[in-house]
Amino acid sequence: MSFALMNSFSSLIQKHAVDEIVKCNDFTFRFGLTLSEQDAIELVETRAFSLKSNGRIEFGGGVITKLIEEFCDSPYISRHNYAETLHELIEIFYFYKNETLDLISDDELIKFMRNSFDGKCQGSLELLSGRELDKMARNLRYGYDPDYSEDNECEEEDGDGEY
Amino acid sequence: MANIEKRHVINSQNLSGEFYFNSILQEAYSCGLLNDIDLENIQMQCISLLAYKSEKYNLGESSSIRIETAESIMKSILYTIGLYLKTIPDPDNAAVELKTVKIPELYERGRKLVNTKFQEAKHLYNMIQKNKLVTQNNSYNSTLSDNGIGIFFKSYNIEYEAHDFPASIDYQLCNPVNDLAGIEFIQKYLENLYIENEFCRNFEAENIHQLLYGYDKNYPELLINIFEQVLTAALGCSLADCNIRELNISRADIQCLYEKLRKYDHDTLMLTINKATNYIYKDLNVTNPLIRGYIGKSLPKIVTNIEIALKLNTLDKVFITPKNPDSEPRINFESSAKMDDENKED
Repeated sequence: MSFALMNSFSSLIQKHAVDEIVKCNDFTFRFGLTLSEQDAIELVETRAFSLKSNGRIEFGGGVITKLIEEFCDSPYISRHNYAETLHELIEIFYFYKNETLDLISDDELIKFMRNSFDGKCQGSLELLSGRELDKMARNLRYGYDPDYSEDNECEEEDGDGEY
Repeated sequence: MANIEKRHVINSQNLSGEFYFNSILQEAYSCGLLNDIDLENIQMQCISLLAYKSEKYNLGESSSIRIETAESIMKSILYTIGLYLKTIPDPDNAAVELKTVKIPELYERGRKLVNTKFQEAKHLYNMIQKNKLVTQNNSYNSTLSDNGIGIFFKSYNIEYEAHDFPASIDYQLCNPVNDLAGIEFIQKYLENLYIENEFCRNFEAENIHQLLYGYDKNYPELLINIFEQVLTAALGCSLADCNIRELNISRADIQCLYEKLRKYDHDTLMLTINKATNYIYKDLNVTNPLIRGYIGKSLPKIVTNIEIALKLNTLDKVFITPKNPDSEPRINFESSAKMDDENKED
């Protein structure tokens, strides 16, 4: 059986996802962030595109709403870049699901993205994608902790006064 | 009026053994047993089951999954359902079950069958460990080791990869297993191997060793089937009135056989081979119908080899004269005191 029928199946999921995204306005409103139904449709389209280009399939949904919930209170997001940032975050998310070999859960990955985005990257999506997440994915693939850094090791060793 | 057979709508000849579910769905649809709505309903149920299994696979930690993984899970689901549907003797009834019984229910019935077959295959594997041949052939030994088929019983993933058979199988059977997958493949492979071993155990390991050594000195490294060589040699002995148990046929016997058989047409040759086979059954006291049936299935291949050899005058490449490695000339070196050098000047 091919996945051809997934189209009709996923159209139902997509409609449900659009509704859920629009519902998020209820709590993002207090941060001055809202999305129109058209914005929600476009986000769902970006998700479908990202899933396809990363060779993944999603049955449930909820990743977009999780990203919204996690990032809505970021100081680096305003109503001017809200939708645009979400599009980027969705693409980054699915790309790094593959790069981390599914070794990290959705929630952990989103949490890491948020912490890095607000912390070391200071709102830069380029740094988030090209540096922090890349480093984290490499760590996971080689069996280290997501936060492992060779710099930290050197610092610790320096601290010991051995060098 | 004694032979009234029920007419089937689905032609079971058109059904695939490996992709049974897909083929029965296609056939039932083209025969009109299932319509568009039934088909859509079945597919939607399959996708829902896939979604459930994918979530379980991700331990609920990830909402998405790689397409290759999803496809593998889907194949596993369809294979498992197909395994159950195969047990329904009439494919028409199987199509009705597809229509009336919920897909998760059919899947659960299939799962039980996979479990049972897995236990059966394990039992068969243990039986083969007891009746395996003593041979130097590496492909045979490695296939029957814990790193060969043995891997299957540790790695088979009933839940998500039931259609797969994670095992290292190099040894080629005389009658290869086609059109089966997963646990069915392993079970059939083991069944055939067990039968081959049972037949070969009528002969001394040393006689088989000498026969295979006569075939090729490097037989331990070759991907050959021992049963086929043994059966062919036994046939040769039977045809030439030699001692079957010793598998010993001389070059002169083979030449005589060539002179005798070259005059036969296909039917006469088949008749002669069948007689020779019956003589083998009698001489070796082969009464097991499974072994007899397997030999019957193997004969056409051997007869074709004989016919080609008769045309090319290469019958000695089909019927092999055994060779004892110990009787071959050897160069031995024994160390002793050096001889005096005649030209040596004092």
